[in-house]
Amino acid sequence: MRQFTLPDLGEGLEEAEIVSWHVNEGDHVVADQPLVSVETDKAVVEVPSPWSGRIAHLFGGKGDLIKVGAPLVEFAQSAGEDTGTVVGELGREEVKGAAAQRAAEPTPARTIAVLPAVRALARKLDVDLNLVQASGPGGTITRADVERAARSLAEVGPGEPLRGMRRAMAQRMAAAHSEVVRTTVTEEADINDWRKGEDPTIRLVRAIAAACKQQPSLNAWYNSAAGERRLIGRIDLGIAVDIEGGLIVPVLRNIGERDAHDLRAGLDRMRADAAARSIPPEELRGATITLSNFGMIGGRFANLVIVPPQVAIVGAGRIDDRVMAIAGQGAVRRVLPLSLTFDHRVVTGGEGARFLVALKTDLEQAS
Amino acid sequence: MLKRASSEETLPVIAHFEVHRRAYLAPDGTVLRQPPDFAADTDLLISFYRAMVLARTFDLKAVSLQRTGRLGTYAVSLGQEAAAVGIASAMRPEDVLLPSYRDNGALIWRGVKLEDILTYWGGDERGSRSSGPVHDFPYCIPVASQAPHAAGVAYAFKFKKEPRVAVCLFGDGATSKGDLWEAMNFAGVHKLPVVFVANNNQWAISVPLKLQTAAQTLAQKSIAAGFYGEQVDGNDVIAVRAAAEEAMTAARAGQGPRFIEALTYRLSDHTTADDAARYRPPEEVQARWREEPIARLRAYLVSKQAWGKSQEEELVADCQRQVDAAVERYLATTPRPPETMFDHLYAELPTAYIGQREEVAGASHA
Amino acid sequence: MPEVTLVEAINLALARAMTEDPTVLVLGEDVGVNGGVFRATVGLQQRFGADRVIDTPLAELLISGLCVGMAAQGLCPVGEIQFMGFLYPCIDQLVNHASRLRNRTQGKLSCPMVLRTPHGGGIRAPEHHSEATEAMLAHIPGLRVVVASSPERAYGLLLAAIRDPDPVIFLEPTRIYRAVKGEVEDNGEALPLDVAFILREGRDVTLISWGALVKETLAAAQELAADGIAAEVIDLATLKPYDAETVLASVAKTGRCVIIHEAARTGGFGAEIAALLAERGLLNLLAPVKRVTGYDTVMPLPRLEQAYLPSVARITAAAREVCQFG
Repeated sequence: MRQFTLPDLGEGLEEAEIVSWHVNEGDHVVADQPLVSVETDKAVVEVPSPWSGRIAHLFGGKGDLIKVGAPLVEFAQSAGEDTGTVVGELGREEVKGAAAQRAAEPTPARTIAVLPAVRALARKLDVDLNLVQASGPGGTITRADVERAARSLAEVGPGEPLRGMRRAMAQRMAAAHSEVVRTTVTEEADINDWRKGEDPTIRLVRAIAAACKQQPSLNAWYNSAAGERRLIGRIDLGIAVDIEGGLIVPVLRNIGERDAHDLRAGLDRMRADAAARSIPPEELRGATITLSNFGMIGGRFANLVIVPPQVAIVGAGRIDDRVMAIAGQGAVRRVLPLSLTFDHRVVTGGEGARFLVALKTDLEQAS
Repeated sequence: MLKRASSEETLPVIAHFEVHRRAYLAPDGTVLRQPPDFAADTDLLISFYRAMVLARTFDLKAVSLQRTGRLGTYAVSLGQEAAAVGIASAMRPEDVLLPSYRDNGALIWRGVKLEDILTYWGGDERGSRSSGPVHDFPYCIPVASQAPHAAGVAYAFKFKKEPRVAVCLFGDGATSKGDLWEAMNFAGVHKLPVVFVANNNQWAISVPLKLQTAAQTLAQKSIAAGFYGEQVDGNDVIAVRAAAEEAMTAARAGQGPRFIEALTYRLSDHTTADDAARYRPPEEVQARWREEPIARLRAYLVSKQAWGKSQEEELVADCQRQVDAAVERYLATTPRPPETMFDHLYAELPTAYIGQREEVAGASHA
Repeated sequence: MPEVTLVEAINLALARAMTEDPTVLVLGEDVGVNGGVFRATVGLQQRFGADRVIDTPLAELLISGLCVGMAAQGLCPVGEIQFMGFLYPCIDQLVNHASRLRNRTQGKLSCPMVLRTPHGGGIRAPEHHSEATEAMLAHIPGLRVVVASSPERAYGLLLAAIRDPDPVIFLEPTRIYRAVKGEVEDNGEALPLDVAFILREGRDVTLISWGALVKETLAAAQELAADGIAAEVIDLATLKPYDAETVLASVAKTGRCVIIHEAARTGGFGAEIAALLAERGLLNLLAPVKRVTGYDTVMPLPRLEQAYLPSVARITAAAREVCQFG
């Protein structure tokens, strides 16, 4: 608290009468602002404030006599604040300025370059810009490009979106293709010594079980993201079945430990369920190796698609009579063409070849 | 240094200059020299006194409003009331005032309502239009830039053969600006009916007069422009009025422009956001209080038995009432709708901006 | 109909305005006795007197400030700044006063002034005499900025500017002061402000320009036509406020736009047009919007001047480039 006392008004005057206050308690005043008019014998005099501040208390009221040197005004203590400006108000909030961020790596441009009006035309003509060949500068699509595409599409007929199995196949194959390093080796198994009416599928199932026991590295799962290979003891064989509308691959479980009779029953049930489209979803999962018996339709050898996490697929082609060299002489023999496609990221060429040989050897055994 | 060294060759003198100083009342209100005839009219003097007290009362209330967050930055005129009132009182209604931003005493004399002044400083354009003479210019913030306007206005008077005067008010800082020189120069060439009034309160924010100019007076700057200038004691309202009347009469009569330097002192901070204690000692200000204009005139009026305690009390109360009433009216105003910012942008809002106006209107009513 | 040069058209318009309206005054350096350094005001002082055609002291700030004061008092001052390079002391008066006098007095006072100045380069002049900084002025709310491009439009637009109740900055391209002639009937008919002029119709690309380069733009359109490219040429004329609707309608038709101005590229007024198209015309664009402009350098002295100024070749190249798109 600072006290301002009545100053000496001159001419030997000892006291003065308060005529009127010009300020109120609580007011902020500036230095030299008139605080009060006081009257001496001679005249009414204005008393200015000695400093800036807030008035805490006024001593005396109108008509009171104040002696020179007596308290007149009490000021509240306050730290003088530098406004730091001459107009307006500068905010004093503590806000940290945002540090500049390094510019992010530019995201690659969309691969379709098309200007707005051309895009609008494409929309109007119902043309999928992905199907349009760009001929404009900088690889941009022109109106003529769009119109040309519209004409072709009109001739070709409407597009049919992939649904269901076909859609799943498209997605699965694409995924497999982008990951797997496919290597295919082929052989021919001389099955001339099979009895008549032998079921090739059962023989193939048995042969695969035998080959897996010999070369367990082809009955495995590979997790490329983790870089982990899992050799699997149980052999669950996926058997590709072509049905109307697409392909399904139901799984024949544990072929390594089931007898032929059991396997036969399982296969028959599988075939019936597939035809009736009544295979439950869990029966389509978890294959450790797959057999594609495409030879039932046609074709000899094939470079098949491995579906991760599997690492191998066996392909059996169409059984046919072939001329083979037997003991230096030509002979007509019944032959089953074999293809083995394996993922060369995790299966060596030797392992693959040995698996194929084991397959062939088992198949060539007389029934 | 206006003279060469006496050791140098003596050359004939081809031009002199002299500057007169006009003052009638000493700071204590006693008479220095015989005042002009109008000073015998105590009613006139009392009208000056009342205007000065009202101006000061208003000023201090404005400061108080600013301190309590109800007014924006405000430029206080403490100590300069006589200069404002003395000049404005010599003007005719049809004359044009071109003020700076520290001339409220003149605006009030010319009929601008107190609440309009508050509205302006409170941040609303409506304060600049509502009252006062229709042809007076509004406040001018870019220092001295109103001087060429004054010359243009005066040229228009001469061109239209109207016996009117343009009165341009500015401060000591303005005399350093080219704008003022260009206007004075032109006014001198064409003998325009304009009176340039420098309110020399000796401070331009924190820059004192001695850093503003090496010239001994501001009045002498008009000599370079070819017309008469005089210095008056700006705290002696009788002197200011006398100088103003003489100058305006001459200008009105086609004798060309005049310059008045009203020497006064800025008893307050530059604005409510400034703190003058940072750059000038309180003792200096304290000393200058003894020369302030209101006490001086009061002392003179009292000495003429034309004023006394009861009149003082009555006046103080009356001024307080007027100011309080104006404050009440001001505080009761509500802001305009935001889309009014497009009003009066051009005579007719161009179609190019109608969309923006609608955007603002839509957002404000959303 | 008589054929006059652009500067003669200015003179006709001024004389016409001063005849019709006794409050129209002309002021500037050398405008009276000398008739203006480009003779834009020749004969006016002799006809209308020295109190209406004023030879001011050498003080550009004063010229613009006088206009504000005179205009506030009901006169119609037409100030001349000898070259745009000397306009800059007026910026304070234009931005702080002329542009906002009406607004800050809520209509109590207004500012019906015109400030004329020669604009642009190409006359082999010394430093500072080739300025084209119209973008700076077109940014200021409350102003109007008009650029003449032909004798006919100079006559009609200057009359409109003088009659307009608000401040107008009237830019007169120096290099076509005498280089173009046109038929101008001195009938006192003004052309509309705030409106763009379609000088040539076309379907393939919109070419937008103003000032002296309108001439080159029209020449480019002619050349392009020979190659089967139909260019539409628009003279923007009023830059502030500009005719967005005409620009948008044209680009909706052509799908391609090239903007041509001699002022420096960055922040030039072409950027505003490009922004307009991005904001309101994007879906019609077949090609990127291109600007053919002066470079972001100081306007070079005469020896390199022609390398700086956009040429017909640069305009046609840009037009051909955008016509490859879409």
